[in-house]
This record gives sequence, structure tokens and C-alpha cells, in this order.
Amino acid sequence: MTSIQEDAAQETMFLKNVAKALGRDKILSSRPGRKEVGPPAFWQEQEFKKEQPLELFKANLEALTGKVAVVCDGLEATNQIKLWLKVLNAKTAILWDHSELRKYIDVASLEVKSEFWNSDKSRQELIETAEQADVGITWVNYAIGYTGTLALFNGSTTGRSVSLLPPTHIAVMLKSDIVPTMSTVMRHLIERRGQGQLPSAIDFVTGPSRTSDIEMDLSIGVHGPYRVWAIVIDN
Amino acid sequence: MSERPTLHLRDRTVKALKDDQMRQAVRKAVDRLSGNKDKAARELPNWEDWREQTKLIRQHTVNHLDYYLKLLTDNVRKAGGKVYFAPGPEDARQIITGLCKQYGAKKIVKSKSMVTEEIHLNKALEAAGMDVIESDLAEYILQLAGETPSHIIVPAIHKNRQQIAELFSKAAGEKVEPDTPALTAFARKVLRNKFMTADVGITGCNFAVAETGSITLVTNEGNARLTTALPRVVISVMGMERVIPTFEDLEAVLSMLPRNATGQKLTSYVSVINGPRKPDDIDGCEKFHLVIVDNGRSRMLADEEFRQALHCIRCGACFNVCPVYRQIGGHAYGSVYGGPIGSVITPMLEGDLEFWGELSYASTLCAACTTACPAKIPLQDLLFKLRQRRVSAGHTQAFEKFAFGMWKRFFKLPSTYKFAMKAASLGQKPLVNNGYITAKLPLLANWTNSRYMRAAADTTFRDEWKKRKK
Repeated sequence: MTSIQEDAAQETMFLKNVAKALGRDKILSSRPGRKEVGPPAFWQEQEFKKEQPLELFKANLEALTGKVAVVCDGLEATNQIKLWLKVLNAKTAILWDHSELRKYIDVASLEVKSEFWNSDKSRQELIETAEQADVGITWVNYAIGYTGTLALFNGSTTGRSVSLLPPTHIAVMLKSDIVPTMSTVMRHLIERRGQGQLPSAIDFVTGPSRTSDIEMDLSIGVHGPYRVWAIVIDN
Repeated sequence: MSERPTLHLRDRTVKALKDDQMRQAVRKAVDRLSGNKDKAARELPNWEDWREQTKLIRQHTVNHLDYYLKLLTDNVRKAGGKVYFAPGPEDARQIITGLCKQYGAKKIVKSKSMVTEEIHLNKALEAAGMDVIESDLAEYILQLAGETPSHIIVPAIHKNRQQIAELFSKAAGEKVEPDTPALTAFARKVLRNKFMTADVGITGCNFAVAETGSITLVTNEGNARLTTALPRVVISVMGMERVIPTFEDLEAVLSMLPRNATGQKLTSYVSVINGPRKPDDIDGCEKFHLVIVDNGRSRMLADEEFRQALHCIRCGACFNVCPVYRQIGGHAYGSVYGGPIGSVITPMLEGDLEFWGELSYASTLCAACTTACPAKIPLQDLLFKLRQRRVSAGHTQAFEKFAFGMWKRFFKLPSTYKFAMKAASLGQKPLVNNGYITAKLPLLANWTNSRYMRAAADTTFRDEWKKRKK
């Protein structure tokens, strides 16, 4: 059996062919100058009022069947989660092992069997735990008002499966992390990339999993969660 | 590439026009999608600025594609991934099946990818003894039906829920009720199990970010997330033009793709994958491979008129406004890509003006596609250019050549023109019925069978003018 290897000769031939199609003898190796980068200028210059990001976030996520609860502190946040877990009749939860989440949420008092996403368990065990869990709880790095979106940075203790496999996803965030548009998140990611700190996966989540593939009939929860609920801590 | 259909466009169209169920489903879908898109376009401020910006970003990238592909390649490798280049479909199939074999893969799960349709990947993987499953709900339905997508955003719009329930019931070995929640729940259960046990995940690529080596996947169902989060090996396959320079550009194109495709502000999921998982990460793939496919694209790139068709962001907005697509649906195009963009790129990707160039006639040249395109590709101009090229290359029918030859001869001089007009108004008499030419003449019937043809007036304009001047 021939093994498949990266092929430097093939690569050069391929890229040279692209260069040739563009009328160049050699592959362009210096960064081409450009004027227009990213969204239109007006978009990047627009200003938002202080309360606008939260208002937009709430309206947009609720329009997508999401719930948004705004609370004052960790105690209220914990109580809100407890209430929602009761409503859902949830027995098990899987949580990101995130320092902020642990700081604000008193996990022991949630009255469900809870597991944290960390290296105490094997990959297989964790994925299976997440698959069986009633609820996945994450800490949101950024929320985007304009689209009602959660930006989740995945890593060692912040697994992708937690916001994906359980039927309900509860996302906890600080009000100060709700930004008006995606521009702030992109700027942050560019900074992190500069420091070599880009997460291996970033998920932008906007409402529940959905499809209109059958007769254009909207159906919720085809592969991912049926419910995406958010807790905003007004710090 | 597209397998050449046995029927020509005309006969494929005739066949499609007889399928009332499909046509009704297509009309419903395109009305919904284009209506939602119009609403989204009104909601986002300065829509035209966004279109212009999208065009400029795509134009800049495509005009410097060699630079950005190299940058992308370097950055994917920096992130720990491997990159392969496939000039043709055979190369792509060989690389991908080879990789799957190398990992001893038996079960493969795929998320939606048009480029893998181009290269007929599933057949190749199945021939190599692997079990391949499509995880996008529509693609799963089509896989069970043994059919191809008829729309790039909603691939199974031509199927109704009864037909889907039959397919699912057959697959399940028990009756699945023909209502949407039951059908969705069935697919969720079957496919969740496939995700949990897959050895390799294969994805397409909506946008690759050159500066970070990121692959961006846009879905509503979450199947691309599952495909990349659970299997230990992930292979992403991209058409070579699917690249953009930076994350800032990603925001711009993400603001356009969902709004133009379905009218959503953003799809439920946008997943940005930066190579394999890091050493401490627990889920995500251990091995990440990117396969970059040319398959006729460099031919289009070298063509200065058609290069701009590579600016496409694959939103499907041109399908949804096209009066021809609306009537005939996607399969009548016979190609992997249908609709106006498919009619433009298929002859170029295939390098075949004679057969695939026929698609340039699957258009009324009404320009609705050009107006709808978020990257401002002048689609109807390109369709017109394809027709010109076909004529220049001598691919048109003898009768058409003869007719235009006559037209040229008679319209050249006032005297011959005058004669032709008089001859027409007299000569047509036996063919006219209620002011229309209705009689079936062997060659003219090509026109009169499907269109109303007004009879020429009894007196010519010149005679009428002379008479009234008196």
C-alpha cells in the first residue's frame, strides 16, 4: 500500500500553475497591498449605546427560541440554573471546568449529578458522559448582540462536546462580555493569534440546532441542542 | 467532475417540466428563501456597501490566489495540520481514500461538501470498502435515495415528506411517520450513533482563513461540528478559491453568506477549526488534513472574463431568483452546480463549450441573478459571453447559422430590408391565427412550441408612415 505523504513537488507545480493562470512566472511571495479589509468602513466605525449590546442579544436570541435571564450575581445565577434544571427535569449535567464558571456558579448546590470536562476522565468517558448528559453548561468568552451569538473558545477544559451533545445548552456570561458585533471578537482573535494563543476550535453558536431541509419546514434540534439558554450576570 | 447526462438540456428540461410535485416544491422553497433574503437585506444597513466590500475582498483574494494559498498552506502546517494538492478529481480521490486506508478507517462520516460531489468521493470510498454516511439531513435523504443535490443550500427540496418517510422507513425496517419532527428525530438518532463511532470525518470548507490556517464551516444543523469534534481524523476538502485573507474578512463574508442564502443573520453554527486539537485538548481530531482541489478552476482563473466567477461565496441567492431554475429545478441542469452560477462555471470547469455550454441557454438573461449576487458577479453577462463563444466556436445548429445568415443579408441594406418586411407580412398568411403564428413548421416549431410569436403587421411601418404623411 502506498502511503499518502505531503508532496512538495506537487505543491510547487500546483501553485505555479495558479501563478501562471494569473500571468506570473513565479509564485507571489510578498504580501500584496490592499485597501479594503473586512466589513465596510461604516460598520467598523458605528457606535452603540451602553445597554444596546445586551438588549440586542436578548431580543435576537429570544427570536430564535432561546431564553435569556439577566441576574445580579453568582448566587442568583446558580438559582436560575437550578430552576431551569428543574423545569427540564434534568438529572445530569456536564460543565466546562472553567475558573470563572466555578467562581460564579455553586455547582454542588445544583441538585443534579454533575461532571466537569477535564483530564480526570478519558476522552472516551468524557464524550460518552456529555452524550448522556441532560444539560451542558459553558462559560461564554464573548456574546454578540447584533446576531444573538455565543462565541465559545474550545480547549483542554472547555470541550466542544459540552455545548454540542446534550439536548440543552446553558451558557453563562458576564454582561461586560456582550459586544455589539463580531468585529470585537475578530480583533481579539487576531491578537491571540499574534501571541500564538489561538484555540484549536472556535464555535459561534446562534440559537438551537435547526433545519428546513424537509419541505422548508423549520425543525429544531436535528444534530445539536434543542435549547440554548443564556444567563447574563450584570457585573 | 459532472458526469455527462445522456439527454441534452432541451430534453432534460422537458422531463423536468412534467414533474409537478418537484416544481411545486421548488417554487415554495425559492419564494421562501428569496423572501427571507430580501427581509435580511433591508435589516442590515447599507446593503450595497456590503456587496461592494464582498466583491473587493473576493477579487483581491482571487487575483492573488497563489500568495494566499501558499500562506494558508504554511499556516495550516504551523497549526499542526497537513496539506495536499489535487490538480484533478482522480488525484483528490486517491489522496483522500489513501489517507482513510492509512488510518484503517472503516466508518466515515461526512458533512455537506459540494467539492466532494464534484470528485465523486463517496463512490471511491465505498469501492475501497468503507462505510460512508452523509450527515447533513438533506444529503442523508439524497444518499438513501441515490440522488444528487438539486440546490446548493437546500439539496433535497425536490423531495416531499411522504417520499422521505418512505426512504427512512426502508432504512429503519419499520414505519417512520411522515411528519417533520418524527423524521428529524429519526435522523438524529441514526446519525448520532454514526458520529460516535466514525473513524474519519470528512468536511467541505466554506472559507479558509489564510493568515491563521483556519477552516470555517457554516451549518444550521451542527453536523459539521460533530464531524470535526468526535472522529480522531478529520479531512477537509476545499475548492482552491475558497480562501480569504484574514479574520476581519471572515466577518464580512459571514455577514453575507447566511443572509443571502436563507435570510438568517447568522447560521446556528459557524465553526472555525485551527488544525488538530492541541496536546491538552480532549475532544477534536488528532490528525488534520486539508486537500486543496483545482479540478478546472485554474482554467477559469486564467480566463480574464470568467475569473470573476471564482468570487462566488456559494450562497445560492442566484438560484432563488432565477425564473428558469424556478421552472425546471436543479436536476435539469445535469451538472454538480445548477442555477445561474452553475450554468456559468460548469462549461469553464469542464472546459467543454459544446455540451456544457448549452447551459448558457438555461437563462432568460433577465439579470435577476446579477442583482442578487452578494459578490456582484455579472452572471447574465457571463452567460451571454458563453453564448457568443459557442457561436464563434461553431457549436450552434446549422439552421440557426442559416437563419442569422439570412438576417444579416436582408437587414444590411434598406432595399433588401424593405423587401423582407413585405415578404414576411405576405408569406406568413397561411401560418397566422388570431394575430399569432401558430402553424407548426418543422424548424420554426422549435420557437413556436414554447413561445408566442406575434405575426408581422399587415402593412409595414414604412408603408404606414408614407400613407399617413399624405
